[in-house]
Amino acid sequence: MTTSRRNFLELLGVGAAAIAAGPLLTGCSDRPASNGTAQNLDSITGVLPAQKDLTIAVKPDVIGTRPVPDGFTRYPASLVDAITAKPGTSGKKISAMTPVWGPAPPGLDKSAYLQAVNAELGTPVAFTVQDGNTYADKLNAMFGARDVPELLCVPGWEVEKIPRFADAVKVLFTDLTDHLKGDAAAAYPMLAAFPSGAWRNAVWNQRLYAVPNPTDTPFPYALYTRKDLLDQRGLSIPKSLDELLAMAKQITEPTRNVWAFSDVFQMIQMYFRVPASKGGWRLRADRTPEFKYETPEYRQAVEVMAKIYSDGLVHPDLVASKGADQNKLFAQNGAILFSQTGFGYWQGAQAENQKINKSLDIQPVPIFAADGGDPLVWGGSDAISYTFIKNGLPKERVEELLRIVNWCSAPLGTQEAQLRDYGVAGKHHTATPDGPVKTDLAFKEIANQYFFISGRNPTVGPFPETPHYVQDALGYSNAMVKFLERDPWDGVKLEMPARFAAYRVPAEEKITDLLRGRRPLSDLDALIKEWKDNGGEEARTLMAKALSEAGR
Amino acid sequence: MNRVPLRARLRRDWQLLAMVVPGFLLLLVFSYVPIAGNVIAFQDYNPYAGGNPLEAFLRSEWIGFGQFQLLFEDPAFWEALRNTLTITAFQLVFFFPLPILLAIMLHNLLSSRIRGFVQTVVYLPHFFSWVLVITFFVQMLGGAGLLAQTFREAGLQPWNIMSNPQTFIVLVTAEAVWKDIGWGTIVFLAALSAIDPNLYEAAAVDGAGRGRRLWHITLPGLRPVIALLLILRLGDALSVGFEQFILQRDAVGRQASEVLDTFTYYYSIATGNYGYGAAAGLFKAAVGLVLILAANKVAHLLGERGIYAKS
Amino acid sequence: MTATRRPAWAEKPTPIGQTFKTVVLTLLVLGVLFPLWAILVTSLSSRRRIAEAGGFVVIPKGLDWSAYQTIFSGGAVTQALWISMLITVAGTAISLTVTVLTAYGLSRSHSLGNRWLLAYFLLPFLIYPPLVPKYLVVTGIGLKNSIWALILPSALSIFNLVVLRGFFQGVPQELLDSARIDGAGELRILTRIVLPLSKAVVAVIGLFYAVGYWNVWFDALLFIDSNDLYPIQRVLQSYLLAGQAPITSGGAVGNTMPPTEAVKMAVVILTVLPIVAVYPFIQRHFIKGVLVGAVKG
Repeated sequence: MTTSRRNFLELLGVGAAAIAAGPLLTGCSDRPASNGTAQNLDSITGVLPAQKDLTIAVKPDVIGTRPVPDGFTRYPASLVDAITAKPGTSGKKISAMTPVWGPAPPGLDKSAYLQAVNAELGTPVAFTVQDGNTYADKLNAMFGARDVPELLCVPGWEVEKIPRFADAVKVLFTDLTDHLKGDAAAAYPMLAAFPSGAWRNAVWNQRLYAVPNPTDTPFPYALYTRKDLLDQRGLSIPKSLDELLAMAKQITEPTRNVWAFSDVFQMIQMYFRVPASKGGWRLRADRTPEFKYETPEYRQAVEVMAKIYSDGLVHPDLVASKGADQNKLFAQNGAILFSQTGFGYWQGAQAENQKINKSLDIQPVPIFAADGGDPLVWGGSDAISYTFIKNGLPKERVEELLRIVNWCSAPLGTQEAQLRDYGVAGKHHTATPDGPVKTDLAFKEIANQYFFISGRNPTVGPFPETPHYVQDALGYSNAMVKFLERDPWDGVKLEMPARFAAYRVPAEEKITDLLRGRRPLSDLDALIKEWKDNGGEEARTLMAKALSEAGR
Repeated sequence: MNRVPLRARLRRDWQLLAMVVPGFLLLLVFSYVPIAGNVIAFQDYNPYAGGNPLEAFLRSEWIGFGQFQLLFEDPAFWEALRNTLTITAFQLVFFFPLPILLAIMLHNLLSSRIRGFVQTVVYLPHFFSWVLVITFFVQMLGGAGLLAQTFREAGLQPWNIMSNPQTFIVLVTAEAVWKDIGWGTIVFLAALSAIDPNLYEAAAVDGAGRGRRLWHITLPGLRPVIALLLILRLGDALSVGFEQFILQRDAVGRQASEVLDTFTYYYSIATGNYGYGAAAGLFKAAVGLVLILAANKVAHLLGERGIYAKS
Repeated sequence: MTATRRPAWAEKPTPIGQTFKTVVLTLLVLGVLFPLWAILVTSLSSRRRIAEAGGFVVIPKGLDWSAYQTIFSGGAVTQALWISMLITVAGTAISLTVTVLTAYGLSRSHSLGNRWLLAYFLLPFLIYPPLVPKYLVVTGIGLKNSIWALILPSALSIFNLVVLRGFFQGVPQELLDSARIDGAGELRILTRIVLPLSKAVVAVIGLFYAVGYWNVWFDALLFIDSNDLYPIQRVLQSYLLAGQAPITSGGAVGNTMPPTEAVKMAVVILTVLPIVAVYPFIQRHFIKGVLVGAVKG
C-alpha cells in the first residue's frame, strides 16, 4: 500500500532503468508503421560520403580482419597535430546533450576538462549530460515537445525505443546530405575516414541525417568463462557443445554455491546456427524468407536450453529476478562459470576485478557448431551512437558544428584524441611509458562528453592494465569473423509491420515459458502458428519484397 | 438539501471557496491541461504532425474508439486485468488489514521508548528500492539462498519459492507486506492518537474489558480512516505495482505476472503506440471511478461518511 | 513525554497476549534490522571482504570508508543535499498550506459547489497526464531548469487531500458551530480550532510530502539539465547505475565501471539515514495523541 501515489510514467522511468541492464529488445530497428516499409540503401549510395583514409593515421600493432577493427597494444610514442585551424569560429556557445552511466560530471564553469577542450575548439560546447539508463524517456519527452539541443547524441539502441523515428528525424534535425555526400566530406577529413559501411546506418528517408559513431566489434554476444577456475578444476575451455554441457553438469554444485550458467539461450542458438539477420531471418533454398521460430535449428536450441534449465544448471538468482547481478556472480564470486553477455564486457570486467583477484582470467569460449561443422556467428553493424544537428540552423552554423564534430572524431595518435580522452597533461593524466594514466580529476570530469558528439574510425586498445587483452580479443575476433552470418538484407533498412513488432515481445515470452518448463515443448508448433497469425506472414511478405526491390 | 438562495450561500461560503483557489489553480495547470493530452487515446498519435507540438495533438489522425476496440479484443489485456484484480482482492484481504492491526498493537504498547523504536524500524523498508527488496528475498528464499542451502545441508530437496507461478501471488504480497507494513501504520497511528484517552478510562470504569474497549472505542475511532483508505485503494484497484512485476516477470512467466501496468508498458510504450496506453489509462480511470462510487455507496450503507456525502 | 506506567483502570495483560505481542514485534524488528545491518556492514567493507562473503557481509572485519569517500569526493552530493533540503522544506511548506486550505475548504459537505469541486479535485486521482503534455506545460511556463519544476507539479497530492479532509470532517461540529456563533471567520476557525486538533494527521501528511520531495528523481531527469540543481536522489541513483551502459562495443562505452557493492549499499544507507534522523521528531506528534479534552475545556 503506497501512500504517495506515483505517476505511472514515473514508474515507467524506474522500470526502464531496471530493464536497461538486459537487452530486452534485441534485433533490428523495426517500428510499428502500419504495414512496414523497406528502405533500400543500395540505391542511395549517392548520399554517402566518399571514404578517404587519413594520411596521418598511426600504424596499428594487430591487424583485424574487417569488420574487426585494428588493435593497439601500446600507446603511440609521438602524437600528430591533426587539425591546426580552430574549428569553432563564431564563439557562440553550442548546446549539446550526451548520455552518461554514472555520476554526472561537473558543468562548464566548474570543469577544467571542458574548458581546456573548448579552448581548443574555439567555440565552447555546453553539455547537458543525462543519465544513460533513462535516456529514452528524456528523448521521448524532448522529441514530443520538439525541444532538442544543437548537437544531440542518440545511442544506437535507443533508436528503436522512439516511435516514428524517421518522422522525428525529418522534423527535428538538419539534413546533412549536401554537407557530406561524395567529395563534400573531404572538408571534414576525420569523418571521411570512417569505414564506408558505417554511414549507411545514418540514413533516414533516403537522406543522410547524422554522423555515426561506428561500433568497434561486429559481435553482439559472447560466452565468457572463468579460465582461472576451470584450471583449478583441471578443465580446459570446451570445444564442442557436448563437452560444454557435460562440463556444466560436472561443475554445478549447489552445496558449494556454484552453477554453470547464466541464461545462455543466444549462444545455444548460435551453436545450432539459428539465423539472426534482421532479428532472425534467413532465406530458404527457394529464396523465400524464413523466421528463426520456423527452423528445425531453433527447435533443437529450445530443447537444449530447456534441458539446461530443468537440470538446474542456471544460477537460481538469475532465474528468480531480473535485478540479479550476473556480472558479480561471474567475475567476482565465481558462482557461475559460463556467462553470456555482450562482447565488450571483457576488458572492463577483467581490469576491474583483477584488482582484488590477481589470478582472475576471463576468456571467451570460441563459438562452435553443435554438429561439429563450421559455426555460425551472429553479427551486428549498428552504430554505437548518432550525432544529430538541430533543424533550422543557418548553413554557417551547421558547418561550424560539423567542424566541431570532425575535431572530436580525431583518431588515436593525434593530440586532439589525447585531449578528448585523457584531458590535460599534469591535470587529468600523467604521462608514462605505457601512455597517459588518468588522475582522479579525470574520472570525475571526463564522461565521454566529446566522444558522444563524434564518431571515429574504430580501433581497439591500448589497455596497459590488461596487457594481453588486445592480442586475445583480436585473436578471438579474427577467428570468429570468418564465420560471421551473411545478411541477405545487408544494407536494407526495414520498418516492420505494426502487428509483427507488437507481437515480438509476447512471442519471445512464450518461448521463455517453454524454456523454463512452464509449458510443454510440444507447444512450440502452436506458438509458431500464433506467430504467423500475428503479423508473421505480413513480415515475411515485407522481407521478400525488400529483397526483390534491392535487386537480390 | 437546504433551500438557501444562492446569494446567501455565497455570502456564507465565500471564505471556503477562496481557500480552495490555490489548489484549484495548481490542478488546472499541472493536471487538467496536460490530462487533455489523453485525446491521443482516440488518435493514431503522430508527435511530428503539424507545425508544432500542440498542433500534433490536433492533426494526428482521429480513429474514434479504435484503440479501445483493439484493447478489448486482446486476450492478453483481459488476462492482465484478471491478474490485477485477483492480486488487488488478495491484497485487500491479506495485506490491507495488517497495518491496522500493527498500529493497534503499537498504540497499546506501554513503553513509549519501545513503541518509538519499533515504529522507526519497521517503516524503513518503505525506502528500499524494489530491486533491493527482491534481492533480499532471493538471498533468503531463492534457490541459492539461505533457506535452500540449509535444506541441502540437511539432505533435503529445496523448495521452489521464487519462481513458482502458482504461489506468485503470495510471494508478491509477502514482499509488499515486508516493504510497506510499517509505512502503512502511520495514518492509522494518527487516527488512534485522535481518540480521547478519557473514553478508555470511562469505559474501563464502567466495566468494559480489553476486548470490548477495542470493539467499542478503538475500532469506531479508526472506522472513518479505514473506510477512506479502502475507498482510495479501490479507486486505485487496477494499479498493483510495476517494477516489482517487471523484475520477476521472467521468473514466473507473463501469465502469472502480467498486470495492467506492465501490459501497458509492453504493448504501448515498448511498441511506440502511445494512444493504446492512453486508452488503457482511460479504461483504468473509468473502472476506478465506478469502484470509488460503489465503495462510497457501501460506506454510506454502513453509516460511514466516505468521500462523498449522501446527497 | 508519555506515561510509561499502566493507568490504574487498565488490567494486567494476559501472558498469552503478552507473548504473542513480543514474538510478533521481535520478528518484525529483526526482519528489518538484519537486512539493514547487512547493508550497513557491506557499505563499510572492503572489496576483498565483500568478494569473500560472496554478497552481503554480515560479520564486519575492519572499517572501510572508501564507498562513502567515493560518493562524497565528487562534491556533487553535498550540493545536492542542499538542493534537496531546499526543495523538501519549501515544497512541504507549500504543499501543506495548499492541502490544508483545500481540505478545509472542501470539508463542509453542504457548502456552495462542494460536490462539483470535490469531483474536480478527485478526477486527477484517476487520470494521469501523458509524458509529452506534462513536459510541454512545465517547460512552456518556463519552469525548466528550476527547482519549481520539482515542486509545483506535485504540490497537491489528492491522496493526502482526501485523508486530511476526512480528519477535518471528524472534528466535532459543536466546536465549529460555537466558534461561528462567536463570529469567528473560517480562517480563524481553521487555525485556532481545526488545526490544533489535527496536529497528528498534519504531521503525517507533512511527512508524506517531505518524503515525496526528498525522493524526487524522475521529474529531475525530465526537467533539470544543470548539475548544480540536481536533487540528492538524482545524484545517488547515478552511482547505482554507473557502468550499466548497454554493452555494445569493445570497451569504448563502458569506461565507467559498475559501482562496487559497497557503493551500492552506501547509497541505500544515505537514502535512509536522513529519514531515520528526522522521523522521531515527527513521530512525536502522532504517536501519542493530542489531548482532545484539554482543548475542549
